Amino acid sequence: MIIGIPKGLLYYRYEALWRSFFHTLKIETLVSQNTDYGLMAEGIRNTADESCLPAKIYLGHVRSLAGKCDYILVPRFDGTGKNEKLCERFFGMYDTVKNTFPGVRLLDYNLSSKGLHSEARGFVEMGARLGKHPFVSLFAYNQAKKTQKEQQAAQVRRQKKRLAAEGAKILLVSQPYVIHDTQLGKPLLQILKDLNITPVFSDDCDAAECVKASRKISKQLYWSMNKESIGSIPLLQNQVDGVILLTAYPCGTDSLVNEMVMRKVRDIPVIQILLDEQQGEAGLQTRLESFADIIAKR
Amino acid sequence: MPQSVIFTFPRLGDYHIVIKSFLREIVPAAHVIVPPPVTQKTLDLGSRYSPDFICSPFKVTLGNYLEGLEQGANVLLQTGMGCRFGYYGEVQEQILRDLGYDFQFLCFSCGQARLDRVYAAMKRLNPSLNPAQFAHALLAGAKKIHMMDKFNRYMRENMAFEKAQGSFLRLQSNLYEALQKTNNISLLHQTSGAIFAAMNKIPLETPQRPLRVGVVGDLYTLMEPSSNFYLENELIKQGISVSRMMSVSFLFLRSNARSLRGAQGYLKYTVGANGVDSVCQCKRYAQMGFDGIVHMKSFGCTPEINATPALQRLSRDYKIPILHLSFDTQTSETGVQTRIEAFSDMLAMKRKAQAASAAPAFGKGERSVGNA
Amino acid sequence: MHERTRVFLGVDVGSISTKGVIINNENEVLSSDYIWTEGNPIEATKQLIRSLQSGLDDGVAVTAVGVTGSARKLVGAMLGAQVTKNEITAHAVGTLSRYPQARTILEIGGQDSKLILLDGGVVVDYAMNTLCAAGTGAFLSSQAKRLGVRVEDMGAIALTSQSPSKIAARCTVFAESDMIHKAQTGHKKEDLIAGLCHAVAANYLNNLAKGKRLREPVVFQGGVSKNAGVVRAFEEETGFEILVDPNSHLMGAVGAAILAKEAGEESEFDFHITDVFFSTVAHECEGCSNRCEVVSFLKDGEVMDLWGNRCPKGAAVRHAADCAQRER
Repeated sequence: MIIGIPKGLLYYRYEALWRSFFHTLKIETLVSQNTDYGLMAEGIRNTADESCLPAKIYLGHVRSLAGKCDYILVPRFDGTGKNEKLCERFFGMYDTVKNTFPGVRLLDYNLSSKGLHSEARGFVEMGARLGKHPFVSLFAYNQAKKTQKEQQAAQVRRQKKRLAAEGAKILLVSQPYVIHDTQLGKPLLQILKDLNITPVFSDDCDAAECVKASRKISKQLYWSMNKESIGSIPLLQNQVDGVILLTAYPCGTDSLVNEMVMRKVRDIPVIQILLDEQQGEAGLQTRLESFADIIAKR
Repeated sequence: MPQSVIFTFPRLGDYHIVIKSFLREIVPAAHVIVPPPVTQKTLDLGSRYSPDFICSPFKVTLGNYLEGLEQGANVLLQTGMGCRFGYYGEVQEQILRDLGYDFQFLCFSCGQARLDRVYAAMKRLNPSLNPAQFAHALLAGAKKIHMMDKFNRYMRENMAFEKAQGSFLRLQSNLYEALQKTNNISLLHQTSGAIFAAMNKIPLETPQRPLRVGVVGDLYTLMEPSSNFYLENELIKQGISVSRMMSVSFLFLRSNARSLRGAQGYLKYTVGANGVDSVCQCKRYAQMGFDGIVHMKSFGCTPEINATPALQRLSRDYKIPILHLSFDTQTSETGVQTRIEAFSDMLAMKRKAQAASAAPAFGKGERSVGNA
Repeated sequence: MHERTRVFLGVDVGSISTKGVIINNENEVLSSDYIWTEGNPIEATKQLIRSLQSGLDDGVAVTAVGVTGSARKLVGAMLGAQVTKNEITAHAVGTLSRYPQARTILEIGGQDSKLILLDGGVVVDYAMNTLCAAGTGAFLSSQAKRLGVRVEDMGAIALTSQSPSKIAARCTVFAESDMIHKAQTGHKKEDLIAGLCHAVAANYLNNLAKGKRLREPVVFQGGVSKNAGVVRAFEEETGFEILVDPNSHLMGAVGAAILAKEAGEESEFDFHITDVFFSTVAHECEGCSNRCEVVSFLKDGEVMDLWGNRCPKGAAVRHAADCAQRER
């Protein structure tokens, strides 16, 4: 049996957890290829125009896995607590995929703040669907949790190294599925590299610290992933030279949260860069170069 | 507490009538500024200070505040729940503060959307407020909302067939006048009896099988008619009976579990805000043999975009046409008008063709049921 | 009077061009023309009417008028039309008169595009794109100018291409910069043009046909259907045979004429309309806080019609009359 894992959206948050869980259960996984132009175009063809670009790309990943595996993992998330929610996009991703590709077999679990939908329970139920005993699944889940923690610790260590680097550093505040996508964030990282700027990633910070720090910018914010990304600004603003708010068109949560950041963060240069499917690299280059100039002058 | 309290709040359909009398009862010393109806000026003001790709209700309600503040308001009310709507308040407050306005912002959104919080906030504005008074004002408000919603629902469904043009609108303005006059609950009950008796007596010329259209979508676009260019009125003008379940009463009484059951076969989970209601209602309309559905939302509304693939599948399974419309502050009215006219033509032509081939030779009228 | 044949006038007033036909009882086109609207539908219509009149012989009488297109209300009032219909219905009716079996109509005009799906001669679904000019006639014209070819020749040139360039045409601004970039990196002109044609077709299908099932027979019309390159691109993208009528750019007008014919009320149309002075005045009514934006339509200074009035009080009507008075 093979479980397909689309390389988009929350893959960048849960990769270690998912892979390790299935690995311990001795179930093969197949992660979709890196996003390229064709895959993105396929996703765009299959989604409503007004969807955000990462969601379109995600559908492209699902499409690319169809027929290559027994199940495709498409979980449903709404949040983990009262003031800890995810963007509505994730509420609807399972049903969006299901209704768009009715013929494809999906494997899902529900991570919800309402009712008893803890992560552990979701994984045990998934295991049951794959014919695994609850104890086996629970063991695999605990293993996976450990792996996930190790990976997070490694990310924090990597961050420290980056912060210690010589030269200009820019904090990239972004959803992980934007900055780490080969079609979205990678061209930008390449340009930064050419400009000799060290990128510092908001998702390599300690998530809990970020959530706490985000209150300096917004007190009522309830989107966990936005707290984690913008919380990196108060945490690191003395250790970097500038901040890029990287967002993909038309991100619902960023539309409000970035507005708040631009209004509240004053003592460090901040720009917002909006990525969309039409974007040429020339425009991106110009914007980044001029931002690098601003930073250099300070 | 400011010297004299002057409230304002965003507009939503005709509900300002109820909100105003509610506020007057619990803070009698206060003035209430009902923001003027949404015009191009409101949109321009709101858009100028809003983030670029925020959904349009944010822009319009920000415009409402700006117009209210210009008229001297100093206490702004906001609520919000579900999607981005829940976070409107903090950002709008920040934008208005940065513009230099001085005001108190009372935001009852998400976890704060609780009656005890409202009571506490109002008690600060009116220290002599007591729980009994507050409860009375709430009851009167609820009664009024119920009356409005019940009347307007009947009106949407039947106004296309009134014998004497203007009968419904006249009675509606009588109702609104009565609602403004009193907060006395027994008097409201009396009014209610009289108005609904009169409503049921309005002479109608309803055809045997009228064209029926159901309207579903996000709450703001559905309930604030300026945001959809008075789409319901346009349909009514074309002789169509319009059904819409969304209303403030509905929002108070709905439950996710119930809506999800109604959307069975098309949604496994709720998809944020009222997305699940759109699917559930659409399925119901389809099963009731409605002629068509209009699905409208503000541009970029995530929960409704989540619902869209399910609606498309419903449309295929039940062979019911769905007109999808997205509105933002740039939407052209002509384009919407053309789509609506074409939609009602389409429904009428379909009916005619069905009548012509009374025996459904090529499977017209037959319905396949959605698979689970 | 008795011997004269009854004929019917149909006018399609779009934002770019104004098209008109006169048809007989058998729906055959007796006279037709199209004029650039150039932002002045009233003048364009007058010119069109004059031209159509000169193409008619004396033995006929126009007994009903139908108007469609984005300026249909204005021109409908001006011509005293029996029928003013939206473009979707008009195009469907026009096309069905030529292809009764049609299941899919692709339409790309100067500034907008439509998709109409039919079943058993009835419209069952449609989509319209009015927001964005990408992939419409106006877009192709401007790109033709940039490449130094006539827009009429684009189709023939596109057909000579062996390997069409890949151009992202979802947005005119990006398409333009993409094309300049490709031209600079040595793409051949015919490949660029074929690429543009493909982009138009792909963009159309992406925007309008998403989630909809297209079925044969497929009819393609509107100004852009004259471009053989786009026709071929549609054939390649959909795998269907694409039908294009010789009068494919006139289908809206034909449909309007047929609807007028079938409206059941007839009165002879007066060609002297071209000598009357028509004008429009837009103003914001100050009658109440609703502030309706009212457009009044004046014939020789008299208010003929009024649009945009949401007011039950009729304040706007009085206001319009006052304004008209002032205008004079």
